[in-house]
Amino acid sequence: MRDFVLVGLSHRTAPVEIRERLSIRPGCLQEELRKLAAHGRFDEALLISTCNRVELYATSANPAEALRNATEALAGRLSGSDADDALYQERGVDVVRHVFRVASSLDSLIVGEPQILGQVKEAFDSARHAGTIGTLLGRCFTQAFATAKRVRNETGIAEGTVSVSSIACELAKKIFGNLEGRRTLLLGAGEMGEAAARSLRQTGTKLHVVNRSEERARALAKSCGGRAVPYERLSMELADADVLITSTASPKFILTPELMKGVARTRRHRPLFIIDIAVPRNVDPRIGNMDNVFVYDVDDLQQVAEENLAVRAREAAQAEQIVEQEVESFLSWRRSLELAPTIVALRKRFGQIADEELRRALSRLDGFSPSDRAALEAMSRSMVNKLLHQPMTQLKAGAGEADGALLVDTVRRLFALSEEESAVKESSTDVRVEGNVTQLTTAATGSTGESK
Amino acid sequence: MKAGLFIATAVLYAIACILYLFLLIRGSDKAHRMPGTVFVMALGAHLAFLLLEPSPGEVPLADISQILSISSFGIGIAFLIASYRFHVTVLGAFVAPLSLMLFLASGLGSSYAPVPPGVQSAVLTLHIGANVLGLVAFALAFVAGIAYLLQERLLRRRQLSGIFQRLPPLDVLDTMGLRAVLVGFPLLTFGMVTGTFWLLRSHGSEFYVSQALGLVAWAIFAAVIVLRVFAGWQGRKAALGTMMGFICTLLVLVGYAVRAAAGSR
Repeated sequence: MRDFVLVGLSHRTAPVEIRERLSIRPGCLQEELRKLAAHGRFDEALLISTCNRVELYATSANPAEALRNATEALAGRLSGSDADDALYQERGVDVVRHVFRVASSLDSLIVGEPQILGQVKEAFDSARHAGTIGTLLGRCFTQAFATAKRVRNETGIAEGTVSVSSIACELAKKIFGNLEGRRTLLLGAGEMGEAAARSLRQTGTKLHVVNRSEERARALAKSCGGRAVPYERLSMELADADVLITSTASPKFILTPELMKGVARTRRHRPLFIIDIAVPRNVDPRIGNMDNVFVYDVDDLQQVAEENLAVRAREAAQAEQIVEQEVESFLSWRRSLELAPTIVALRKRFGQIADEELRRALSRLDGFSPSDRAALEAMSRSMVNKLLHQPMTQLKAGAGEADGALLVDTVRRLFALSEEESAVKESSTDVRVEGNVTQLTTAATGSTGESK
Repeated sequence: MKAGLFIATAVLYAIACILYLFLLIRGSDKAHRMPGTVFVMALGAHLAFLLLEPSPGEVPLADISQILSISSFGIGIAFLIASYRFHVTVLGAFVAPLSLMLFLASGLGSSYAPVPPGVQSAVLTLHIGANVLGLVAFALAFVAGIAYLLQERLLRRRQLSGIFQRLPPLDVLDTMGLRAVLVGFPLLTFGMVTGTFWLLRSHGSEFYVSQALGLVAWAIFAAVIVLRVFAGWQGRKAALGTMMGFICTLLVLVGYAVRAAAGSR
């Protein structure tokens, strides 16, 4: 029986020094996959490589051996003890659950972050182009995408911002309403300050950059899409700014109440939102008591991020339930792929057609003796048996082979066998139907590639 | 029939209050339109009630109970316009209780004496009409002010989840407060002028507490406008000034109501 295996490491099991040793550049994924799948080590294979995880998914008729192969493939690039600590292995339904959880961002460093779904989709596309996706992985990942969509729509897992720069943007919006045409002033060259300035720039504010080193100011302005302003003009810039981001390395307060009072005359009472990302702080906390001036330091923003993360964690419990439902539905699809029910259904379908046609023919003709009738019935039965003989033999032989599941699936689709039991459940979304079709075509090209 | 309609209107206002408060405190994507729908129903019932009520006296608007009722209705309508213009549906949590309170106060009207005959004139109608419209505008400014102060407090205390997320941005509330005062102030001025004119003609130069309060309200709003427009005032102080002005205007109305109640005894 073909089954899933998974070997990998993630932020949960390995620090970045180890993860980066395994990571694979996107351009090399296909080549890597072809190498892995060569010599029939795996029937299907898929590699996910992001900054937080490297995982090899595969299916094989011999899962135990596949698991060894996969571990070897990844562990080869790590030293022995690292590999033992960092790599985790899964088999069977646990792999399916893992894929669903990863795609739904339940296994991410920041639960609910949206990038992972795109990364998994890219990995899936690479594997499809490399020709290493068949029925099982194809179905599994297509359903993982649908699960991720459900989780995002039905739970609040992606709600509330959890990064410092997007929280700064949201707060600015809550103060100024529309940010279009507002002025952001970036003071200093800290990395987080730059990120926050860039996010604000994207919301439509104009960005001015002030730095002690004019060269640095120019470089920063260029990279963020703003304008560099000489340091001497700081107080004039302060008078015009709506949002101020400070992230200098100065050990003393740069923004003092005296400086602010100096610009108050020009500023009048316009609100000013100050984001002090620097440690030690650049802004004298007394400024926060001034009218229409709102000061947030890095701890404040971090605290908001943590609160939002806590909300996400609560929502994650509900997401896990959705994942369980989807795993259950995947399992029922797999069961439908098993051989025995297919053979029974196929015989039943043919038998029904023969019986019906025979009855109709008999009703139109009369003058048959019971023995004639018996002979006709025997003929119809034996025709059905003869017609089915070859397909049945092939089906039984093929089911044990690598693409057996595909074969069974194809037969079920050709004769519309799934309609009675599971049609309602299975074809409920277009995504899945579409997924099935691509699976079939890619799996078909994949298998011809292998036979050459 | 009239009593039934009064109770129905009050109940609908009360339900709208609860729904709006729920929207503000708990927030809900699904029930976003529910409070608004109930509030519009309340306004519908209120309009029917107003149309049913016969005008007591020859001069429309001269009865304090009717003034309260129409103010309540006007605030509701003005809020609907403002929420369309500024996307501030959630402010219904402050508007609906105000509407309900004024409407209930109008129900105590049986104890209010109608304006004595002989003092009614077109000038009086103009005076009351302008002041009611001014009151409506100031009520919106007042609500925007409350929301501003609440929002600013939450922002300063770093309580950024929940209500903070659902209240409109500070700038929107500030702008709304300014616009409402700019609309209300000329109406109040006109109301003051016509009121003084009518007072001089009918009573001579008798001066009441209400008139003094009205003058204080007018001065406060004038100061708010001057400081906002010419000194660039914004935010908390402007909101506080506006709220004080509205409370004075409301007290004028309360003064009339109390005097009418006392006079009827």
